[in-house]
Amino acid sequence: MPFTAKSGKFNASINTVEIGSGDKAVKIGGENVLPLYSFDAPIENAPKVGIEITDFGMDNEPDCVKKYYEGCESIADIAKKAASFEGVDFLCFRMEGGDPNGANKSTEELIGALKEVAAAVDLPIVAAGCKNAEKDAELLSKAAEALDGRNAMLLAAKEENYKTVGAAAGLAYKQIVGAESAVDINLAKQLNVLIGQLGVNSKSIVMNVGTAAAGYGFEYVVSTMDRIKAAALSQNDANLQMPIVTPVASETWSVKEAMASEADVPEWGDQEARGIDMEVETAMAVIASGSNAVILKHPTSIATITNLVKELV
Amino acid sequence: MTLFDVVFSGNDTVYGLTEGAINGAIEKHGADKAIAFPNTAYSLPCYYGVTGTKVATLGELKDALGVVKSLMTREKRLNDAFMSGVATALCAEFIEVLKYMDGAVPYEEPCYGHLADAVIRELGVPLVTGDIPGVAVILGSAPTAQEGVELVKSYQAQGILVTLVGGIIDQCEEMGYKTGANVRVIPLGKDVTSVIHVVSVAVRAALIFGNIQPGDAAGLMKYTFERVPAFVNAFAPLDPVIVACGAGAIALGFPVITNEETFRVPKSLIVQKDVSKFNATSLEARDIKIKITNIDIPVAFASAFEGEIIRRGDMQVEFDGSRVDCCELVHAKEASEIEDHKIEVIGPDIDEMEVGSKNSIAYVVEVAGKNMQADFEPVFERKFHSYLNCIEGVMHTGQRDMIRIRISKDAFAAGFRAKHIGEVLYAKVKSEFAAVVDKCQVKIYTDPAECTKIRHEVATPMFDKRDERLMTLTDEGVEVYYSCIMCQAFSPSHVCVVTPERLGLCGAVSWLDAKATHQLDPEGPCQVITKERIIDERIGEYEDVNEAVRKFSQGALEDVSLYSIIEKPMTSCGCFECICGIEPLSNGVCIANREYAGMTPIGMTFPELASMTGGGVQTPGFMGHGKHFIASKKFMKAEGGVARIVWMPKDLKDQVAERLNETAKEMYGIENFVDMIGDETVAEDPETLLAFLEEKGHPALSMEPMM
Repeated sequence: MPFTAKSGKFNASINTVEIGSGDKAVKIGGENVLPLYSFDAPIENAPKVGIEITDFGMDNEPDCVKKYYEGCESIADIAKKAASFEGVDFLCFRMEGGDPNGANKSTEELIGALKEVAAAVDLPIVAAGCKNAEKDAELLSKAAEALDGRNAMLLAAKEENYKTVGAAAGLAYKQIVGAESAVDINLAKQLNVLIGQLGVNSKSIVMNVGTAAAGYGFEYVVSTMDRIKAAALSQNDANLQMPIVTPVASETWSVKEAMASEADVPEWGDQEARGIDMEVETAMAVIASGSNAVILKHPTSIATITNLVKELV
Repeated sequence: MTLFDVVFSGNDTVYGLTEGAINGAIEKHGADKAIAFPNTAYSLPCYYGVTGTKVATLGELKDALGVVKSLMTREKRLNDAFMSGVATALCAEFIEVLKYMDGAVPYEEPCYGHLADAVIRELGVPLVTGDIPGVAVILGSAPTAQEGVELVKSYQAQGILVTLVGGIIDQCEEMGYKTGANVRVIPLGKDVTSVIHVVSVAVRAALIFGNIQPGDAAGLMKYTFERVPAFVNAFAPLDPVIVACGAGAIALGFPVITNEETFRVPKSLIVQKDVSKFNATSLEARDIKIKITNIDIPVAFASAFEGEIIRRGDMQVEFDGSRVDCCELVHAKEASEIEDHKIEVIGPDIDEMEVGSKNSIAYVVEVAGKNMQADFEPVFERKFHSYLNCIEGVMHTGQRDMIRIRISKDAFAAGFRAKHIGEVLYAKVKSEFAAVVDKCQVKIYTDPAECTKIRHEVATPMFDKRDERLMTLTDEGVEVYYSCIMCQAFSPSHVCVVTPERLGLCGAVSWLDAKATHQLDPEGPCQVITKERIIDERIGEYEDVNEAVRKFSQGALEDVSLYSIIEKPMTSCGCFECICGIEPLSNGVCIANREYAGMTPIGMTFPELASMTGGGVQTPGFMGHGKHFIASKKFMKAEGGVARIVWMPKDLKDQVAERLNETAKEMYGIENFVDMIGDETVAEDPETLLAFLEEKGHPALSMEPMM
């Protein structure tokens, strides 16, 4: 008897969200099948890859990343360079220096840098905060204003500051609101509901459901993403049908496997290769679990993931 | 004259003025002359919001006036009055826009007049987040400049955005009071028509933040009513024009509070003769709750102090419920009986008490709120322990009338007094239970005679009543159950179904707790589960419960019963206080509590039982549950109830003995049932246990086989 494959497509689908404006705008989401199951039904929007730069420029970057940006003098130069690498769909500017427990840069200074970055490239822009909820409320509201008209994505509104970030980004300036929760399907859903109750259109919300570097409690990340996609597709749960965006670089480029120098652990081999491996492994795993976009740092990782996705979807 | 007549006459007056002004302007400049408010994409905002039509020239303005006229119907019905109010407001907008012709700057410092879109985007965010809890529109002159400024100041202190129209602006200037957008006190203008500039803010907020489509007048009014917490304070004397404007405000959902003796419309037009009470009256009328950000006490307040021990030597005074009359109580009352943030100390203060002495204290926290229920009283009360312990230099133990509080010498030296206990309770109850508490006041009795009276005449009867309520609260007696998925972070498919007679398996979430959690956090872990479609009464299976479990477990669980350990038992996360498992030889069940480290006759220790039971999977024959559930009449009801219990650790037996004996007596007429139950001192293996049970004549032995 011949084997007849049965299509596993669902009657529900992930929301399609467009980021950016003009020719370079990208769409994420829209699929009605499990991640990468393009054999069940066509996946219209393949997972997208963004590149991350920060307000520290190249100051805190490992040498293996720095070498790609040689000759860049300003943050605008860095942004232009980042945008030029193969496979980059969008640019993420992380305002890391805003953290009150770190460099504590002023909102004005960071927004100034953000404006320079935005002016330098025509790619879709993602503005990411410093992870301090209180400072992010201020930073991301101002970022929403500074990026007016760019249809930018703001990362991210959390439980503590979703009202401010949601209202400024989603209502006042009609940007895309990132909703960040910590590896828990119920918290992710609750935050989506709350942001929706503010009046933000659910089609303007994307989720960052939390991540970790592969090997660092990563199974929780995978199971959370699996369950979210299952609920969104098989149960048609509209409060979980937002596409998932996962910032990978900020996780993987801080673990020892990526950062320990070859001099310290000669048995681990070349540091650059290790860093890329960590980034690629983590990124591909979250894409396979349901991420609709990943944010990476090393140009080789970006090219690798882009090619891999191209082959699979 | 009726209120209708006043509104209609005011409306007619303003309409006449507007018509004259527009005609005059057309005569002078021609119908094609452009008009607009500066810095807005929504010109003219109010008219555009209500009708969906933009107005750009004098000719179009004249047409718009025709539309306004059509709103001015004259039936004596509420809707006519409201629409005439809206018409008055639109006329005011037309008059105001004429002032801006040819790029004129009609308003000078300190007045703002029209506000730009950018200002609204800036103010809109804190309005949406509640950081600006309300918008006050103060109109006219206060009886004295002093009173006017006091009122403005009171709103400002609460973070409320204040807009000023008319005489109050001069009064602020006269008193040298600072105004401006940066201090959130915005003088609009001195003509009454300038009030439209704040209406314009509300309308544009609805368009920008509410996604209201221009022209959707009903949607617009719904948005302003629900989302723009504005209200009007109009000082006497009120002329018909102001009353007509007021009708417009009311149509948008903004109540008007005035000190003039005039018509009263419940919740909309409120007379408050005492200007010093405008603030409280307005906040109550508009249902505005002020966030409490800091607690006004002379010592620190943080969870770091929660475990602080105060030894006798370091203690200034002590309140000891085991020796003298003390109690703590939450009491739900009517809103009219409570003055928010009133803290009364009745009796001597701490500095009048001897160092190291034992004293009486009774503190009663009285709360009111539209969504407050007496069932929440004990839920709040149980939090007092944590609240008071968070105060640096204060130690609290116990509950109800068995409390003990010590205040350290250091806290006393820093200025800590009895009223500060009230400040802490007020601030915490108001902020943590904001969803249900609108008003709160605290009475602190330290007078021994008063304390005796409160304890015995007020508190004890209330405690008894609550206990009785808890006793009579049955699964059959309530309309709904609650889900609890607090533990899904680590047990992804587990769902607790919390009923009055079956609390959460962690022992921490009773049906009342779940109910309160749901009220306080409607999107949170506890959701309502209806129980209308019963499938099997014996095992407690409902279609509604199964649907909820399927939904909350994301499809991992199909069906659960509430009362059976064998058929579709409820799952467990991993937080169970106790685990109950079948012991086949004696035809009963053994229960082990988490604290018990030894072996059970089942042949497994608690951790071994836990590995069988947790993780959100259904394991027939094993069940996680709370300690309190042991004495419930619903405990394994499908298998015959508590008579199945053949073994428990001694400690646990002692904890539940009294209630379990009562239940067994009521259900089977057995006296001292607990004495028939084995424990680790009797047996840790099934054979010895069986011999013991036979000797005692345990009822499980003669019951039907469980499997």
